[in-house]
Amino acid sequence: MNAAVRIEALVKSFGRTRALDGLDLTVRTGEVHGFLGPNGSGKTTTIRILLGQMRADAGRAELLGGDPWRDATELHRRLAYVPGDVTLWPSLTGGEVIDLLGRVRGGLDPRRRDELLERFELDPRKKCRAYSKGNRQKVALVAAFASDVELLVLDEPTSGLDPLMEAVFNECVLREKGDGRTVLLSSHILSEVEALCDRVSIIRAGRTVESGSLTGLRHFTRTSVTAQLTGPTPALAALPGVYDLTVDGTRLRCQVDGDALTAVLGELSKVGVRALTTHPPTLEELFLRHYEGAAR
Amino acid sequence: MTGTWTLIRLILRRDRVLLPVWIAISALLPLSVASATAALYTDQAARDAFAAASMSNPAQLAMRGPVYEASLGGLTAWTLGSSGALIGALVSVLLVIRHTRAEEETGRRELLASGVVGRHAPLAAALTVVLAANLLLGLLSVPGLVGQGLPVGSSVLFGLSTASAGWAFAAVAALTAQLTAASGTARGLAVAVGGLLFAVRSVADSEGVAWLAWLSPFGWARLTRPYAGDRWWVLAVVVVAVAVLTAVAFALSTRRDVAGGLLPARRGPATGTIRGAYGLAWRLHRSALVGSGIGFCLLGALVGVAAHGMDAQVDTPQFRELVATIGGPGASISEVFFTFVMYVLSQLVTAVALVSALRARSEEAAGRAELLLAAPVGRVRWALSHLVFALAGPALLLAVMGAAAGLAYDGGALRVAGATLAYLPAVWTMVGFATLLVGVLPRQAAAVSWSVFGLIMLVDLLAEFKLVDGSVRDLSPFVHVPATLLEGASAAVVPLLGLTAVAGVLAAGGVALLRRRDLVPSG
Repeated sequence: MNAAVRIEALVKSFGRTRALDGLDLTVRTGEVHGFLGPNGSGKTTTIRILLGQMRADAGRAELLGGDPWRDATELHRRLAYVPGDVTLWPSLTGGEVIDLLGRVRGGLDPRRRDELLERFELDPRKKCRAYSKGNRQKVALVAAFASDVELLVLDEPTSGLDPLMEAVFNECVLREKGDGRTVLLSSHILSEVEALCDRVSIIRAGRTVESGSLTGLRHFTRTSVTAQLTGPTPALAALPGVYDLTVDGTRLRCQVDGDALTAVLGELSKVGVRALTTHPPTLEELFLRHYEGAAR
Repeated sequence: MTGTWTLIRLILRRDRVLLPVWIAISALLPLSVASATAALYTDQAARDAFAAASMSNPAQLAMRGPVYEASLGGLTAWTLGSSGALIGALVSVLLVIRHTRAEEETGRRELLASGVVGRHAPLAAALTVVLAANLLLGLLSVPGLVGQGLPVGSSVLFGLSTASAGWAFAAVAALTAQLTAASGTARGLAVAVGGLLFAVRSVADSEGVAWLAWLSPFGWARLTRPYAGDRWWVLAVVVVAVAVLTAVAFALSTRRDVAGGLLPARRGPATGTIRGAYGLAWRLHRSALVGSGIGFCLLGALVGVAAHGMDAQVDTPQFRELVATIGGPGASISEVFFTFVMYVLSQLVTAVALVSALRARSEEAAGRAELLLAAPVGRVRWALSHLVFALAGPALLLAVMGAAAGLAYDGGALRVAGATLAYLPAVWTMVGFATLLVGVLPRQAAAVSWSVFGLIMLVDLLAEFKLVDGSVRDLSPFVHVPATLLEGASAAVVPLLGLTAVAGVLAAGGVALLRRRDLVPSG
C-alpha cells in the first residue's frame, strides 16, 4: 500500500511532558484522513515533526517517501500546510502573502487563486494586521488550495471560520480529493471529519487509540435506540448488549450493541411500537467513549 | 470612565521597571549637568566665553536655542532644557501609544472592554499615568538642583518646563492614537509631529525668527526662562494646549469603533511580487533600514556641524586637560570629540543591528517562520536572509553617518567614514553573539542579548571613569576598536581582523545550531 504519511511509535518529550508517546499514523495516498484528538493530545506536535520543524526523540516518520527532517526542503515542494493559528506579516497584504507562499512553492494557478478569493470572500488588498483570525486562516487556505501539490496538511483549519465558510472549505477539500490529492486534516470538530474523511485516526495523550475507516470504527460501537411503545415496557435490562436504559412511561431509550439489535427489536415489536428512531453513533459518541477515561 | 483606576494599576504593573528607570534618570540628569557645568566653568568669565561661543554656533542654537543667562542655572537650563524636553516627549509618545492603540490592535482592549471598563477609561488611565510621571520627574529633579545652590522657585519652574514637553506630547499621542488602526502609524504620526515641532523651534532660534518658537511645545519648554526671569505664565499656555488636545482626543474616541480608526486603513496591492526568503527579508527590514539610514545621516551631519565650532567653544583649561588625557598631547579638541561621539553612536548602530539579528527569532516566536519554513525554504537560507541585514545594515549606517559627519565637518567624508567603519567588526561581534543565542537559547535570546549589550555599555562607561579594571573592560568588543582619527589607520588591522573572525565564528555557530534544533514558537 502506497502511503503519503507513515508514522510508527513516534515519541517526543518537552522537558518532563511526554507529548507523543508511541504514536502511529498512516495516511494512504489519495485519501482524506481525519486526525482527531482533543486539545493538547499531540496533533500539532505530530504535524510539526512531519514538517521537519521538530525532531522526534524516537520512532519512525516517513513523509511522501522521504525523511521529514533530512529532506525537508525537497519534500515541502510537494505539500502545502495551513497552521491552526495563522500569523502573517502585519505590513503585507493578504494577496502578497498568498503570492509569496505560492511562488516559493513553485507558482500557483492564478485562475484558481482568484476563484478561491471570491468563494472565501477575502479582500486581498487589506494589510494582514487588519485581518481577523478567520481571515488570516482564509489567506493560508487560499494559498494552500491554489498551489499544485500532492499533499495538504491542515491543522484545525476551520477554527476561525463561520458555518458558511466551513461549507466552502468542505467543498474545496472534496475537490482536492477528486483531483487525487491526499489530505491530512487535524480537527476536533467531528461533523467536519464525518463529512470529509475516508479514514480517521483518533489520538489521546500522544497515543493512537483507534484508527480505520468510519464504518469500521462504528462496527465496534452501539446504536442509539429511542422507541415510543403502545404497551408496557419489556424487561430489556436483562438482555446482554443493552446499556444506559431509561424508561419514561411508554418512552424508552437505550444503547444497543450491534449483535444484540435483533433481540431488542424482537422484544419491542412484541409489545407494539408507535415510533422508533435509531441512529449510528456520531463521532461525538465515539469520542466520549475514548476520552471518558481521560476526563476522570 | 469606570475602571480607570484598575487600568492605571495595570499600566503601573506592566511598566514597573520602565517607569521608575525613566523617572530616576530624568530626575538625576539636571543634577549631573549642573555639577559638571559648575566644575568646567568655574568663574563668570569662563561662563561668558562659553555662552558667547554657543550663541555663535548655529548647530548649538538649532539644538538648544539661545543662552538666556550665563549663570550656573542659566547654563544648566540651556544644556538640558531642549534635550530633556525631547526625551520626555519621545517617552511620553511611546507610553501613551503602548497603552492605548497598541492594546486595541492586539485585541487585549476588547477583552477589557467586555468587562466593566468604560470606553474612555483606557485613554484616561494612560494619560493619567504619563502626565503624572512627567510631573514626578520634574519635581524630583528639584532637590538635586537646590543642592547645587540654585534657587528653589526657578528649579521648580525648570522641572515643570521639562515636564511640560512630556505633557504636550502625551496629548498629541492621545490624539494620533484615535486616528489610525495601526499602532505603528499612530506612533509614527506622533513622532513626526514632534520632529516637525522641534524643527520649528530650531528654525526659530537659529534663523532669528523668534515668534515661531511660540508655536512649538519645545519652544515653550525654553520660553519659561528658568533662572533667567522665571516666566511662570508660559506654563498656562502648555496647560491650555494639553487640555484642548485631550478634549479633542476624547471627543474623537467616542466617534469611532474599538480597534477602528478615523482615518481609513491603507490598502495595498492585491497581488504580490515578493520572490522568496530574501525578498521577504528585504520587505521586513526595508523601512527600518531606510528610516535609521536617514536618522544616522542627520545625526552625523549634526555632529559634524557641532564639531566645527568645538575648538573655540570649549577652549577652557579643564577641557584641554581632558582632551590631552584622552587623545594624547597635541590632539585637537574636535578630533577627540569626534572619536568619543562616534564611539557612542556606534553603540546606537549596534542597537539597530541587534534588532535585525533578533528578527529571525521574533519571526519564529510569532509563528510566521513556521508558515514560510513549511514551504520549500531551507532553515539556513531563511536564517541568512535575516543575518544579511544584521551584517550589511550597520555597515551602511556607519558609512552614511561617518560620511555625513565628515562632509559637514571639513569635507573629509572618506576619512571620517573610515573611522566610523572601524567600529563595524565590534558591531558584528554583537550581531554574532545574538545569532549564536538564537541558535542555542531561542527563548532567552532577546533578553540575554540586550542585557549583555546593556552591561557592555555600562562597563564602558565605568571604565571611562576608571571605576572598573582593565581586564573586565577588555570583554567589551568596542574597547578593541582603535581610534583611527587619533592613532592613524595602521594600528587598526590586527584587532579589526580579530573581531571580524570572532563575529564570523559566532554567527556561523548560531546558524549551524539553528539548523539542528526544533522550532520554538512562543506560547
